[in-house]
Amino acid sequence: MNTLKKLQNLNNSGKSYIIYKSKNGFDLYTNFSKKIILNNNNIIRFLKKKNRKNKLKNTDLYIGFFGYELLNNLIGVKVPKQRTNKFPKGIFYKPEKKINLRKDFLCNLSKPFNKKNDFKININREIYSKIFKRFKKKIKSGETYQIKICTKYKKISKIEPLDFFCRLSKANLAPEAFMIKDKNYSIVSCSPENLITKKGSLITTKPIAGTVKKTKKMNKLRALNYFKKNIKENKEHNMIVDMERNDLSRICKKGSVKLVRTKVVEEYKDLFHYVSLIKGKLNSKVASIDIIKAMMPGGSVIGCPKINTLNLLNNQEKENRNIYTGSFGFIKFNGDMRFNIIIRSILNYRNVSEISVASGVVVDSSAKHEFEENYIKAKALIDLY
Amino acid sequence: MIYVIDHKDSFTYNVVHQFSLFDNVECDDYEKLNLNKLKKASTIIFSPGPGNPANYPLTSKIYRSFKGKKKIIGICLGFQQILFCEGAKIIEQKKIYHGYQSSVRVVSDNSIFGKGKKFKVGRYHSLKLKEPFKARNFEITMRCTETNTAMSFENKKDNIYGFQFHPESFLTNNGKLLIKKILSY
Repeated sequence: MNTLKKLQNLNNSGKSYIIYKSKNGFDLYTNFSKKIILNNNNIIRFLKKKNRKNKLKNTDLYIGFFGYELLNNLIGVKVPKQRTNKFPKGIFYKPEKKINLRKDFLCNLSKPFNKKNDFKININREIYSKIFKRFKKKIKSGETYQIKICTKYKKISKIEPLDFFCRLSKANLAPEAFMIKDKNYSIVSCSPENLITKKGSLITTKPIAGTVKKTKKMNKLRALNYFKKNIKENKEHNMIVDMERNDLSRICKKGSVKLVRTKVVEEYKDLFHYVSLIKGKLNSKVASIDIIKAMMPGGSVIGCPKINTLNLLNNQEKENRNIYTGSFGFIKFNGDMRFNIIIRSILNYRNVSEISVASGVVVDSSAKHEFEENYIKAKALIDLY
Repeated sequence: MIYVIDHKDSFTYNVVHQFSLFDNVECDDYEKLNLNKLKKASTIIFSPGPGNPANYPLTSKIYRSFKGKKKIIGICLGFQQILFCEGAKIIEQKKIYHGYQSSVRVVSDNSIFGKGKKFKVGRYHSLKLKEPFKARNFEITMRCTETNTAMSFENKKDNIYGFQFHPESFLTNNGKLLIKKILSY
């Protein structure tokens, strides 16, 4: 039986499974023997769990996600009472089976769909402008250097996550794409951003700040020029590079944190990203929990400085972010890990789909521009419906 | 030992990382300071941070207790904090510098960095020193070549130094050299 058939059978069987983009294709994880629903009480135990084994199987890992609120609480940042749909704060699975998928499985499952945008946004243009003005003042008074306002689009719907994932990945093959299909929820994501890759004592992070669509006129060289000339993207990018250097410096050997690539353009199927790559060598005493606490929530989608900016956001936002700006990935039993930042994602829970997006407030940008920018970011996902 | 007082900033550990190249460094949150470390330290560093100096009375208190007794270095907010304690006004600026690389020039004859020298530096600040500013033994030693904004001060008599820019930023060329000069002075 070929892999495509297996995948279809698995999908039809109703079993839970996860797909995660790998270097050359995708990895599929299933036959979960454990499912751990995380909360503030058990997360530390989960992260301190000793799973060391001499011989590592390719399923000796936990795969899943940390939600935004959980990551805040982990570093001592409180989130005031918000509207919530009671979606779990984090879930990890222990798979017993891993299958490699080539990327051509994406071509075969797509089916036509009818376009209808009846998503509802949680804050309208007027409220958005008010928040924008308030945050602009906070930048002027130095309380934050950069902050990203989040808006959420929601709609009642049932979705077939595999179909969504195939169509999404076909349109935009993102390096950190993933999907989770479980009994009562699903997540479909085309996240482009890797937050942590840890192998042995080596750790890297690869922040993105700056994205431009590929067109006939926009080639790689032109994209580089575009980014270099764009002051807003440049400033944001610089700040994120320094912030990620800082977060790595918390857990790495002195003098080992280095910029491997500084502000280069990476080419993807439909877009160019402006990225940097930073590496470090971990201190010998550093444990998984220290790494998670130092790096999460990923700074590039929050703003800077992290703690004060999180507090400003949390006091502003009336609705729980759930998975948005959390992290998805895995921790192997030998301590190696890979985590992304959850953006450009759909969460479908109890037949409600939600899509969150954010864009940065900078002193010289306008509320109107950023509000529309947010919609453009959400549109790629909304168009799947 | 160098003791870094962290104002919950996202650049503090870059400072720690950079200073660790020269000495042992300890770092604590400004709200959870360790008195023993504070007493033991030969150098105290006030980290960058959000907000303005009036938000950090504890740091001001430390400055007043250790001025003249230990080497004190302030970076960004830390720079403003020290000047604030010396009676300066810290004000909002029209143009805001977050993630900017600027050129600064050494403007003082007495500077340990040598008059006329130019550096490319990284900046992250909304606020600045209101001038004219005068305080005993304090001298503005570097200025932005474009806007003339105060970018560093030196008080060699009391061993107090400050940078409005970020020597630890990847946008600052030769930041390590600047730190080395101050630490060995």
